[in-house]
Amino acid sequence: MNGTWTLTKLALKRERFVVPLWLVLLVALAAGQVQRYATGIPDIAAFAREMAANQALTAFAGEIPSATLAGMAVWKNADAIYTILGLIMILTVVRHSRGEEESGRAELVGAGVVGRLAPLTAALAVACGSAVLAGLLTAAAMAATGAGAAGSLAFGAAIAAAGLVFAGMGAVAAQLTQTARTAIGVAALGLGLSYVLRFVADGSGLAALKWLSPHGWSHLVRPYGDNNVAVLLLSLAFTAATLALAYRLLARRDLGHGLIPERPGPAASDRLRSSLRLAWRLQKGLLGGWIAGYAIAGLVLGALATSIEEVARQGAAVEEFFRRYTASPEATMTDAYLWLIALSLGYVSALYPLLVLLRLRSEETTGRAELLLSTPVSRVRWVAGHLLFALAGTALILATAGLTMGLVAGAPGKVLAGALVQVPATWTLAGVGVLAFGLLPRAAAAISWAAFLFVNLFGEVLGPILGIDYWIAKYAVPYPNLPMVISGEPFTATAIAIMTGITAVLVSAGLAAVRRRALT
Amino acid sequence: MELAIEVEGLVKSFGRARALDGLDLTVRAGEVHGFLGPNGAGKSTTIRTLLGLLRADSGRVTLLDGDPWREAAELHRRLAYVPGDVSLWPGLTGGEVIDLLGRLRGGLDRARRADLLERFELDPRKKAKTYSKGNRQKVALVAAFASDADLLILDEPTSGLDPLMEAIFQQCVAEEKQRGRTVLLSSHILSEVEALCDRVTIIRRGRTVEAGPLSQLRGLSRSRVSAELASPPNGLTRMPDLHAVRIDGNRISFEVDRTRLDAALAELIRVGVRDLTCTPPSLEDLFLRHYESAKAER
Repeated sequence: MNGTWTLTKLALKRERFVVPLWLVLLVALAAGQVQRYATGIPDIAAFAREMAANQALTAFAGEIPSATLAGMAVWKNADAIYTILGLIMILTVVRHSRGEEESGRAELVGAGVVGRLAPLTAALAVACGSAVLAGLLTAAAMAATGAGAAGSLAFGAAIAAAGLVFAGMGAVAAQLTQTARTAIGVAALGLGLSYVLRFVADGSGLAALKWLSPHGWSHLVRPYGDNNVAVLLLSLAFTAATLALAYRLLARRDLGHGLIPERPGPAASDRLRSSLRLAWRLQKGLLGGWIAGYAIAGLVLGALATSIEEVARQGAAVEEFFRRYTASPEATMTDAYLWLIALSLGYVSALYPLLVLLRLRSEETTGRAELLLSTPVSRVRWVAGHLLFALAGTALILATAGLTMGLVAGAPGKVLAGALVQVPATWTLAGVGVLAFGLLPRAAAAISWAAFLFVNLFGEVLGPILGIDYWIAKYAVPYPNLPMVISGEPFTATAIAIMTGITAVLVSAGLAAVRRRALT
Repeated sequence: MELAIEVEGLVKSFGRARALDGLDLTVRAGEVHGFLGPNGAGKSTTIRTLLGLLRADSGRVTLLDGDPWREAAELHRRLAYVPGDVSLWPGLTGGEVIDLLGRLRGGLDRARRADLLERFELDPRKKAKTYSKGNRQKVALVAAFASDADLLILDEPTSGLDPLMEAIFQQCVAEEKQRGRTVLLSSHILSEVEALCDRVTIIRRGRTVEAGPLSQLRGLSRSRVSAELASPPNGLTRMPDLHAVRIDGNRISFEVDRTRLDAALAELIRVGVRDLTCTPPSLEDLFLRHYESAKAER
């Protein structure tokens, strides 16, 4: 453990801008929602009753912990907070452990007076420390809005616990694979599984499933209601077990290696004859993973559609819900649910083209692009190869989910169409990715993640918290403007044409910038 | 085409730092050209400009009669490049990378590929992430030597190779020259440059300080003379043609231009010579002199 403190300080220094940023974001998500409900909802108890009757929303947000202002704010945004924090934890732990090993920096550090376990310990210290800080700050901010102290502390504990669990998951994943990219993929799979289990538990009423999901444990605390902090012992036990496993694996393996040994490959290859084939070779793993994940998500979420209960269109909140997610008086609750799922699959798919295009940046920083571009491959052709995956891959992923979900839900044509209209919306993110890579390559990763969070949070959550009405805020992000083909809106090409046009402009500008700039 | 590379007054800045400050470089078709300079002198920046990865701020850059920035992809059909720090796709085997680069460059000689793999003792079935630095360099070298490019641009290609492999590398470059190819070789290894290069360019702080055939370089026309004399060499130090004079009792050593050697020796004989060595200059002397003055200016 020699050198842990030095490495922790180094990691803190490298995170000095990022950690405060997401801390502010998470605290604003929690406390800002209280402010918004305090001014926007006159009768919170009636609002809670209406929301509780809406099974589609229960699936997305979980059960209502208490029919109070703070309780409803927790209900609205807690699941998003746990998920975002989980993702941040995974990225942080992997970046400072496996990422350092992959770059070779860990070798330099490891040759100093630094214990074998020190780099992982430093990564965990920073990640877990900031998760606990996120919990404390949220508790303080919630209490400052006038919410009860016990409930605020319970909520803070639920947040911190979710962070710890996924930090542990990231630590294990970092031991399994040789590259940081795959480690993040493996851990993100665990995060997705935890999310879906909790979703299914609340959507289907199989409450027992919630006990199998780390998301579920934090939900079971029910802040401002039961304040059942004891459930978090499960989170702590899970964290302890994953950390023990991670350290055990770390103590046994060689620096720079994963658990799966490398096998020899072909001595020659006729297949790799163009930069496009190389792009396929580099991108197929990511694409395969997303297709598999989306196929499974489609199956599970589609199966839930058959058990959604209908509710009468009474009460302001229910009316607003139908206004947002359906476009015809005949549209049912099931239609609204299926459209919500299609939208959510769209929102999450926004990450895929960004990850595909960030690959370009890592090709550039490692110097592999330099080698490739010293051959007769032009820059545009190189970028276009990966862009093809960003665009066609997005369509493939969403089509897969649309097909599986539609088949299970018993409305294949309608649901597939609903999934496919998301494609041009996600394409705009590909445009952002190319433009960032062309104009501001050093900030490309930060811009990509910020764009993903912005698109996912602004329309429904962050915009309204900032005082921008949903019906205005939605124009800042693509998805809410799509025709609701599942829930009663006839297909119109306007929004799709506009988004495709925006994508074309962004991509052209990005490609022009790539051609003009120096390669670093 | 008489000149493979022609660079005149090349300037390139990164922010405030001026990496290249009016650099000149001329490489004739069919020659092996040594490109020398201390760390940070601008060798890699020059090469990256020649490859069209960086755009020159000002100055003229011509590569194979074309503009490397505007016609990059077209010109790259006729060149092969080996970076100083070779980074390969971790999931691909060495053999796959060699074939990929070969195909992208428009084909490669299968027989020569097999021959080079054997001579460099490289196992092409291993994944790139398991290769050492030297082995990654060998992958890039095999791909370059097995291509049919007119021009090879090699950026410190032997920095990870052991002495045996270094010898193989020298053989390969000699063969390339016989086949009429042009080679730009940036290097730190003086024996390599002395053995292989027809002409050299030495740069420092982004500027060319020496260029020409090895035999004609300014500093290289001097010889170093050490002598033990019959008595202390009074008066000799006042001769204007002697450089870097050191006197210790009856011993003297100095550098003198070869055309002035007669006069200098006559002076020594006038005092009386007990022992005498006269050594030809080495590239190392020249190189060190530039390095030393670089340090002094820093």
